[in-house]
Amino acid sequence: MSTISTHLRTFKEPNKEQITQLFFSVPPSLTARCEKDGLEKMEINAVLSMSAEAEEDSYAGKLHLIPPFLCFASLDRKSCRFTLPLCTIRRVERLNARAGIYALSLSLWHGMKIVVQLTSLRPTADLFCASLRDSLKAELQHGQMKAVRSFVKTCYSETLVASEAQAGEEEQEEKVAPEGTDNVETPYHGGLGLRFKFPGDPKKLREASKVKLWKTYLRTHGRNLTLLRYPQCTRLVQVGLPNRLRGEMWEVLSGSLYLRFSNPGVYEEILKENEGRTSTSTEDIEKDLHRSLPEYSAYQSEEGISALRRVLQAYSFKNPELGYCQAMNILVAALLIYMSEEQAFWLLEVVCDRLLPGYYSTSMHGTLLDQRVFESLVQKCLPIIHDHFQEVDVQLSVASLPWFLSLFINSMPMVFACRIIDCFFCMGPKVLFQVGLAILKINGEELLKIQDDGGFIQLMRSYFSSLGQSAHPHSPDPRARAITRFQELLLVSFREFSIITDDTIYSERKKFRNEIVFSIESFSKRAAIRNLKTLERFTKEQAGLIYDALYRAMCIIPPPAEVARPAPTLISDGNEEKPETRIGLRTFRVFLSEIATWARDEKIIINGFQQRVDREVAEHEFIDRLFYFWDVHCKGALSFQDLVSGLDGVMFNDLMENIEWFFNLHDKNKDGYLTKDEVLTLSESLLFIFRFEIGDAYLGAVSRFMTNAFEYGDALLPQPEGQGDSDEPPPTPGIASNQPYLNLATFRMVVLADEILESFFETDLSASFKLEPVPMMELPSSGNGFLGDLISNIATDDNKKLFNRFTDQIGRTIGKHQVIHRPAIGRFTKLEEPKARESLLTPSMRPSTSTSSLSPTDRAQSPGASTSNLSLSSDARSTTETLVQGSEMSPISIMKTANEALMERPQFAIDDALDDDTDDELGGEDDGVMDEVDAFLEAHDSGLTDEQKEVAKDLLNAKPVK
Amino acid sequence: MAESGSGAADKSVQVKLVLLGEAAVGKSSIVLRFVSNEFQANKEPTIGAAFLTQKCRLEDRVLRYEIWDTAGQERFHSLAPMYYRNAQAAVVVYDVTKASSLEKAKSWVKELQRQANPNIVIALAGNKVDLVQPSPSASGSGSAVESEDEADDATATPGENAAAAEQPESLRQVPRDEAEAYAKEAGLLFFETSAKTGEGVVEIFTEIAKKIPIEHILASSRGTGRPGAAGRSGGAQEGGVNLEENAAKGKDACNC
Ligand SMILES: Nc1nc2c(ncn2[C@@H]2O[C@H](COP(=O)(O)OP(=O)(O)OP(=O)(O)O)[C@@H](O)[C@H]2O)c(=O)[nH]1
Ligand SMILES: [Mg+2]
Repeated sequence: MSTISTHLRTFKEPNKEQITQLFFSVPPSLTARCEKDGLEKMEINAVLSMSAEAEEDSYAGKLHLIPPFLCFASLDRKSCRFTLPLCTIRRVERLNARAGIYALSLSLWHGMKIVVQLTSLRPTADLFCASLRDSLKAELQHGQMKAVRSFVKTCYSETLVASEAQAGEEEQEEKVAPEGTDNVETPYHGGLGLRFKFPGDPKKLREASKVKLWKTYLRTHGRNLTLLRYPQCTRLVQVGLPNRLRGEMWEVLSGSLYLRFSNPGVYEEILKENEGRTSTSTEDIEKDLHRSLPEYSAYQSEEGISALRRVLQAYSFKNPELGYCQAMNILVAALLIYMSEEQAFWLLEVVCDRLLPGYYSTSMHGTLLDQRVFESLVQKCLPIIHDHFQEVDVQLSVASLPWFLSLFINSMPMVFACRIIDCFFCMGPKVLFQVGLAILKINGEELLKIQDDGGFIQLMRSYFSSLGQSAHPHSPDPRARAITRFQELLLVSFREFSIITDDTIYSERKKFRNEIVFSIESFSKRAAIRNLKTLERFTKEQAGLIYDALYRAMCIIPPPAEVARPAPTLISDGNEEKPETRIGLRTFRVFLSEIATWARDEKIIINGFQQRVDREVAEHEFIDRLFYFWDVHCKGALSFQDLVSGLDGVMFNDLMENIEWFFNLHDKNKDGYLTKDEVLTLSESLLFIFRFEIGDAYLGAVSRFMTNAFEYGDALLPQPEGQGDSDEPPPTPGIASNQPYLNLATFRMVVLADEILESFFETDLSASFKLEPVPMMELPSSGNGFLGDLISNIATDDNKKLFNRFTDQIGRTIGKHQVIHRPAIGRFTKLEEPKARESLLTPSMRPSTSTSSLSPTDRAQSPGASTSNLSLSSDARSTTETLVQGSEMSPISIMKTANEALMERPQFAIDDALDDDTDDELGGEDDGVMDEVDAFLEAHDSGLTDEQKEVAKDLLNAKPVK
Repeated sequence: MAESGSGAADKSVQVKLVLLGEAAVGKSSIVLRFVSNEFQANKEPTIGAAFLTQKCRLEDRVLRYEIWDTAGQERFHSLAPMYYRNAQAAVVVYDVTKASSLEKAKSWVKELQRQANPNIVIALAGNKVDLVQPSPSASGSGSAVESEDEADDATATPGENAAAAEQPESLRQVPRDEAEAYAKEAGLLFFETSAKTGEGVVEIFTEIAKKIPIEHILASSRGTGRPGAAGRSGGAQEGGVNLEENAAKGKDACNC
C-alpha cells in the first residue's frame, strides 16, 4: 500500500551558476546541449542602450553568455533584463568609438538594435567576443536561425503588431480559431477563450487600451523570442495582461517559450506514442476532468475537456514520477483559456520543474517547504499576527496552502487570480509570498480577532469575495474610490513586501529543507508501518528498525523507478493492487547487510592512525536464495511487508524450526527432499555463513555434516531390487544428483549429530539477524555559514574513502597496517581483539564524523531580510512615495490619497459597500490604465552617472569598425 | 476566555468534524448536501481542504459543526493530520461502486484510531447508493431530473452507466453487509448515503451528534461561539475593534 521514496535525499541546493540560469529562465536541457558542444559560458560587466525610438535609459548591468542564450540584467536585477536566444541575433558589430571604449552593436530579429558596452578589462572583453562568436556559429550550424521565422508566426504578438488600424484588428478576431493547428487560417496559437470568451468584462478590464499600450511596447522593444524587458514591461504586466496576449506573454515571461521553440512537435509525439495507454495518473485525471473550472463554458463541452485531458496526460507521460496531482487540473484549465495545448504543456513543465519545484510531487515536499517558508516570513514581517496565531493555535497553511498550490485560482475570482499569475510568471515565485503577506497585512486588524482555524478561513473567504469592491468607498475623491481592494492588494504586495526577494526565498528554503524532509520521512515511515498487513511477531519499534534498514538500502541502491503502472481492468475485482515500493536483488543485498551479520564483509583495520571498520556488502548465492525465498508472490521484488514476514520466519525460531527453515530454504521444488546438488549448495551456504569464524571448528563441522549427510542419505535410499547383501553400500548410489535424496527427518538427524551445528541452529542463526538502530543517514548540511558549507563539501563519502586509503598506505609503510575480518557469529573469540568488537556494536562510536555535529554553524547569521518588521516596511513605503513624487509622470494627488488610505486602512476594512460601477465615472479609459500603471512605478536605477549615460547615448550613433 | 453568557449560548457546542476518503467518492458533495441541501454534478476537487459550518439541533441542545472537507488524492495524505488534529468527529467516506475506496477508508480509520484524538467519533459512509438503486420512478423517463442526471453521468465512471440503467445492483462493488460488518467490528457508525438524493446524509450528522461526549467537550473547550465571525457580523456597525462577544453570540444562537 505504501510507497517509499528516497528522492528527497538526492536534492542539491542550486549553485550560483544555476541560480543565474533560473533567474533568466534558461532551460537546463538547452544549455546542456551546448555544454556538450564545448561552448563556454561567460559573464561580463556591460552597459545596455537601445536605439532612440524606444526612449529608454541606458542601464549598467551584467551580460551573460549562456549558450544558446545571451542574457542581460541591470544591476538591481529588476529594472531591465532580457534573455535572447542567440539565433535571434542577426548581426553583431564592433563599434568604432572613443578610445578605451569597447562596444558591440547587436541587430535583432525584430529589427531592433541594441548596444552593449563591455566595461570589463580589455582581455576579458576580447574573450567574451570570441566566445560569443563561437556560440553564434554553432547556432547557425544547428539551423536554429531558420527555425525562428516559422516559429514567430505562431505568436499572437506578430499579428498584433502587424495589424495597422484598430478596425483591422477587430476583423481579424473573427477569423481566429482557438487551436494552433497547422491550418493556414490560424497562424498563431491561442486558447479556448478565443472561442468561448474570456472571463471578465472586457470593458471593465480596459482591454482595448491595454492592447494599445502593449502594441506600442512590443513594436519598439521586441516581442516573443526577442522581448526586452524594461520597467514599462513589468508595469504593464502588473496592471493585468490583455486576454488575447496573455497566453503568449505567460510563456515569454516564464521562459516556457524557449522550450516550445526548441522542441517542435514533441507534444504531439508524446501524445501519439502513448495513445491508449492508461496508468494511475490517467485514471486520476479522468476523475477530475469534469471537475476543473466547470462553470467555464468550454469545460462543459467536449472540446475543452479533451484539450484538458490531452495536456494533463501528456505531462503525466513525460514525467511519470510526478504523474498527476489534483490542482494541476485547475491550473491547466486556467492556462488553456489563454493558450494552446502545446503552449500550456510546456508552461506546465516550467511550473512543475522550476517555478513550483516539488509542489505536485508525490510527497508534495515543495508545497510543505514553501508553507514553512511562508510561515517564517510571516513571523519576520508580521510578528504580531504570527504571535496571535501561535497563541490561539491557528495554522497558517489551512488557508495559505491552496493559495500556493493552485496559484489563487480557486481562492479568488478568476480575473483577479489571472492578474496574480501574470505577476507570478513575470517576477517569479516570490510573488506568491508577497501577495500572501499582503493579504495578511491588509486583514491584520481582523486576523487579531480570530480564535481558530475556521474563523481564519471564513475571514479569508469573505475578503476574497470582496476584492472587486472599492478599497476606499468613503473617500471623497472619486479616483481614490475607484481603487479596488484588489489593486490595493497588489500595491501592498509589491511595495511593502519588495523586501522579499528571490534570495530571501532561496535562503529560507535552504534553512527549512531538512526539517521538512525529516518530517515527511518520519510520516511515511509511520504510514508504512501502519499499513503493514501484519507486524508478525515484531513490535512497532522493531518494524521501524527494519524500515530504517530498508530505507538506507534504498538510498544506497535505489530500486528501479516506478513506471506508471497499467490501470486495472475497467471493472476492478475489488482487490485492485495499490502501488507499492518493492526492492530488487541488489538493494536487498544492502538491506540484508544491515541486518544479518554474515551478509556483510567487515574488516577491522588498524593502521597506526586510526582504527576503523570497513563494511562491504557480501554477495553470495545464499543471499540471492533468501531473496527468492521471501518473494512469496513471485514478483521478482520484495516489499516492506515481504521483508517483515521473511524476517519473522527466521528471527523467532527455536532449534527445530530453524532446521526446518534452513532445509526449506534449500529445497527448491518444495517436495520435502533435498537433492544431492542441494545438499552441496546447503553446505556451501553454511561455509559462507561461517567464512570469517575464527579457528577450524566450523570448517570441521561442515565437513562432518557433508560426510554424514551422504552416509545417512545413501543408507536410507530404497534398496534396488534384487540386491540381497545389504551391508555393503552400493558402489554408485542409484540416484541422480538432481533427484529427491534427503528428507527433513534425515537432515535433522545429521544436524543434531554435531554439537556446533546444533548450537548454530539453536540460537546463533536467529541471533545473526540483528535489529539495531542504523546510523542516521546524513542530510546535506543546511548551515548557512561558510564553514558549514566547506565542511559539508569535504566530508563527502568519497573524501572519507580517500583519507582512509591514504592512512592505510602510511600504515602499511610503517608496518602497522592490520586487517581483521569480523566473524559473523563470533562464538570463538580467542583471536579477536575485544576493543574492536566493542566499537562495532555501538554505531555512535564509529569513526565517521557526522556533519550534524557541526550544527553550531547552523546558528550563523540568518540572511539580511530577517531584520524586516512592520516599521521597516512602512519605511520602504515612504521612500517609494517620495520617489513617486519625484517623478513627474504620476498624478501626485492620487498617490497621496492612496497612500494615506493605506496607512489608515483598518478604518475601511469593515466594509459592505458594493459600488461596482465607479469605473465608468472615470474619464478616458486610457487614463484609467495609465493611472494604474503609474501606481506601480518603482524606483529603477540605471546604475550610471550622467557622464556614463552620455557615453552610452553617443554609442548609439557610432559607426561599426570595418 | 471564561464566559458567563446567556443560557441559549451555553447549549451551542462546537464540534470539529473532518471528512476523509479517496478522491471523488463524494466528500464535498456530502458536505454541500448537509450544509446547503444542494447537489452539484461537477464538484471541483478539493485542494488542501475546505471549511464549512453547519448547526445541528439535537433535542435540548445545538451543535455547531465545523467541517473540514479534505482532499482525497493519495499524495495529499501527508497534509491530513493538519486537518484532523483536535477533531472530535470524523466521517470516512467510500464509494459503494468502487471497492478500492473501502480499502482506503479502512486505512483512514486505522490512522485515525492511532493518531487522532482518542475520543474521536468515527462514522463510515458508503456514498453514491443512488447509483445502485432502481430509480424510484421505476423504468422509463424520470423527466423531472433528467438534465441533472445527464450532467452527472458524464462524471460518474463512464461506460458503466448504460448497464446501470438496467441493473443498478451490478454496479455495486461493496456489499452493504460487508461494510456494515467491518464498521461494527471497528466500532464505527455506519451509513449508506447519496449526496445526490440526500439519502442518509443528515442522519450521519445527527447520529454523530448523539454519540459525541458533549460534556467532555464543554469541559475542555476554550469557549463557545465564534469570535471571528462575531467581529465581522456583529462588529461591523460599531466600527473598530470589538472584543466583546456576548452580543454577537446571542445573535449566533438565534440564527439556528
Ligand atoms: N451519483 C452520485 N454522484 C455523486 C454523489 N456524490 C458525489 N457524486 C459525484 O462524484 C464526483 C466527486 O464528488 P466530490 O464531492 O467532489 O468528491 P470528493 O470526495 O470531495 O473528491 P476530492 O475533493 O477530490 O477528494 C462529483 O462529480 C459528484 O457529482 C452521489 O451521491 N451520487
Ligand atoms: Mg472534495
